[in-house]
Amino acid sequence: MKRFKHAFMGISALLVMTTALTACGGSDSKDTNSTSETGSSNTTTSNEKVTVNLWSFTDEIPNMTKKYIETHPDANVEFKTTVIATTDGAYQPALDQALAGGGKDAPDIYAAESAFVLKYTQGDASDYSATYADLGLTDQMVKDAGIAQYSVDIGSKDGQLKALGYQATGGGFIYRRSIAKDVFGTDDPATIKSEVGPGWDKYFEAAEKLKAKGYAIVSGDGDIWHPIENSSDKGWVVDGKLHIDPKREQFLDYSKKLTDNGYSNGTQDWQEAWYADMSGAGAKPVFGFFGPAWLINYVMKDQVKDTNGDWAVTEPPTGFFWGGTWILANKEVTKNDAKKQAVADFIKWVTLDTSDTGLQNYWANGTMKEGEQGTKDSVASSVVMDKSNGEIPLLGGQNMFEAFVPANANASGKNLTQYDESINLIWRDQVRAYATGGKTRDAALKDFKQAVKDQLGIESE
Amino acid sequence: MRRKGTINYSKYGYIFSMPFIVVFLVFALYPTLYTAVIGFTDMKGVIPKPVHILDNPFQNFKELLFDNPTFRTSLSNTFILWITNFIPQIALALLLTAWFTNRRLNVKGQGMFKVLLYMPNIITASTIAVLFSTLFAYPMGPVNSLFQSLGWIDAPVQFLQDKNTARGIVAFIQFWMWYGNTMIILIAGVMGINPALFEAAAIDGASGLQTFFRVTLPSLRTIMLFTLITSMVGGLQMFDIPQLFITPAGGPDNATMTTSVFIYGQAFKGAYMYNKAAAASMIMFVIAGVLAALMFYLMRDRSEAQIRKKLRAQKKAAKAAARGV
Repeated sequence: MKRFKHAFMGISALLVMTTALTACGGSDSKDTNSTSETGSSNTTTSNEKVTVNLWSFTDEIPNMTKKYIETHPDANVEFKTTVIATTDGAYQPALDQALAGGGKDAPDIYAAESAFVLKYTQGDASDYSATYADLGLTDQMVKDAGIAQYSVDIGSKDGQLKALGYQATGGGFIYRRSIAKDVFGTDDPATIKSEVGPGWDKYFEAAEKLKAKGYAIVSGDGDIWHPIENSSDKGWVVDGKLHIDPKREQFLDYSKKLTDNGYSNGTQDWQEAWYADMSGAGAKPVFGFFGPAWLINYVMKDQVKDTNGDWAVTEPPTGFFWGGTWILANKEVTKNDAKKQAVADFIKWVTLDTSDTGLQNYWANGTMKEGEQGTKDSVASSVVMDKSNGEIPLLGGQNMFEAFVPANANASGKNLTQYDESINLIWRDQVRAYATGGKTRDAALKDFKQAVKDQLGIESE
Repeated sequence: MRRKGTINYSKYGYIFSMPFIVVFLVFALYPTLYTAVIGFTDMKGVIPKPVHILDNPFQNFKELLFDNPTFRTSLSNTFILWITNFIPQIALALLLTAWFTNRRLNVKGQGMFKVLLYMPNIITASTIAVLFSTLFAYPMGPVNSLFQSLGWIDAPVQFLQDKNTARGIVAFIQFWMWYGNTMIILIAGVMGINPALFEAAAIDGASGLQTFFRVTLPSLRTIMLFTLITSMVGGLQMFDIPQLFITPAGGPDNATMTTSVFIYGQAFKGAYMYNKAAAASMIMFVIAGVLAALMFYLMRDRSEAQIRKKLRAQKKAAKAAARGV
């Protein structure tokens, strides 16, 4: 009985502790972190393996290390991967601390997403990264691989390349073939390209033609925002002050035009109605979406339903890119030759190797897993895409690389800031308020500037 | 073993309260004090830099209160949202309490009802936020379809784009999530009232309404105070639903931006203004403290205060009389 009493008291003490913890709300969000080791399958090597710490926010790159070890049995390397999801903003603080902390466990290779990559390549945290030149990866290699300029621009600080991606996320205009035939008489990408572009005036002419037959040209104003945002000459912040690029300011008028004329279904991206428009289940059938290859292969794939195969992709009215992952190396690795070599070899294999055994070849052709057709994706190197087979059933067998190689070349990487995500949300909120008639144009601009100042502490010009 | 009678058990009390005290000190007291301090500093930016106390220590507070319309909007939003959810919430909770505790009505299946009414509180806020934004989606959503088929509206309504409906829905969600909780607390309070009071009222021929207003409500005063204060503190910290319900958080046009959403944004949306966020948190702390004190004052037991006053007067009179003699 006495023992029971003690046990009971122990349990209640535990309970008190857990309640105290939950009350502070600090106990969640840690379950997404995991650390695991991927060893080389080659156990016969006698010499010590180099351990490379790899930090990432998805398991994409950790999976690449498995493929790397598999295809490079004599690589003298062992990866220790740490994956922390970007949800709750957990990845960046953890990475910052690990980089600042240094030592044996510091990240040797780390990944950054387009939303925050600038911080690590050009911004506050850029001093932690090694240049690709230090790793022996030359500009000539970049040129030979045909890497899209926007990707290089984002990864460079003062002309020194620090980060590259394996994926290219230049965007195309993805449209419905059946609607194209009905309205423009053909579904040929080359013809549709000249119907919807270049430039937004032609785009709205096409919208008028589509409207006459009862179609919407896009689902919502969020769809045209990505191309507009990325085709502007300057980013949101210039010399520490908020700058509204004339091309971005025009988004107000374009959004209003879409709403007033009924050119769109008025949806918001990433919401139910937006997904519904991908299968033509919305209020009006929607002609097309703006997006990179990942939108087709990871988002639309599960949403198109009966319209699978009725799509095609062509170049958009203006070039743009959307999303992407960049890979950086810690500058500390250059101090140890063996480690430097191991890191350089892996980064080269992921970002610059255009051979048939390079990562990008597997990535572009969806052959990451032996004997299984995986997802095909647009990759950083145009050389790889040129020789790869980008035919996918969703696009009715069209080779998507035809559209994405020029799309990547036309994207710009010179108008980003580390505040983009937050400023875009405020901007689009005000634009919606104007477009739906709740506000005047001037009031929307004024409130936008005020909100940016109040919420982010950035004064306007 | 001989001194069995003098074994001191109080050490177990200390041992078992240690975990709580340690956890409280590390995870509650220290962060609170830390927050209070950084509100006066220039702590800003992702990469840690040396932190200094500002030349004018109240700079952050001043800028927030006088130079930041968004913060003032978020303050008024917080109060609007709290009041519009609290009044219907307490009203419905009282009504349900009256029904469930009424012996003459003797509602069948009480247990089931209580569980069902409490249910919204068990579901996580993120689920509810997603559920409601889907329900009120534009241009196609269950609510829009329903209203259209009933002929109430001709074209789909942008519920989440209009400031008033957006606020109304957030207030409704809060109300719907919390009235069950309030009801359970009030029922517990009623259970604690001496049954003899109800019996006496019944014998005196009091009607149900009279019993409720003359017996139940006055006896519930302390429980009501508790509900009011916990709900007020909860209301001032309202975060999850406004943060998750509408994109962008606190939209449309800042209509549902509560102070907590604002504070989160200051610190974690790209500008990393930890000092401003801390200062705003401390302002909220002061407001909550003042309001709680005010409620304690308003809800104090007036009759007890009067009795104390009378006693004091009597004492004084007795003293005066004694001196007089």
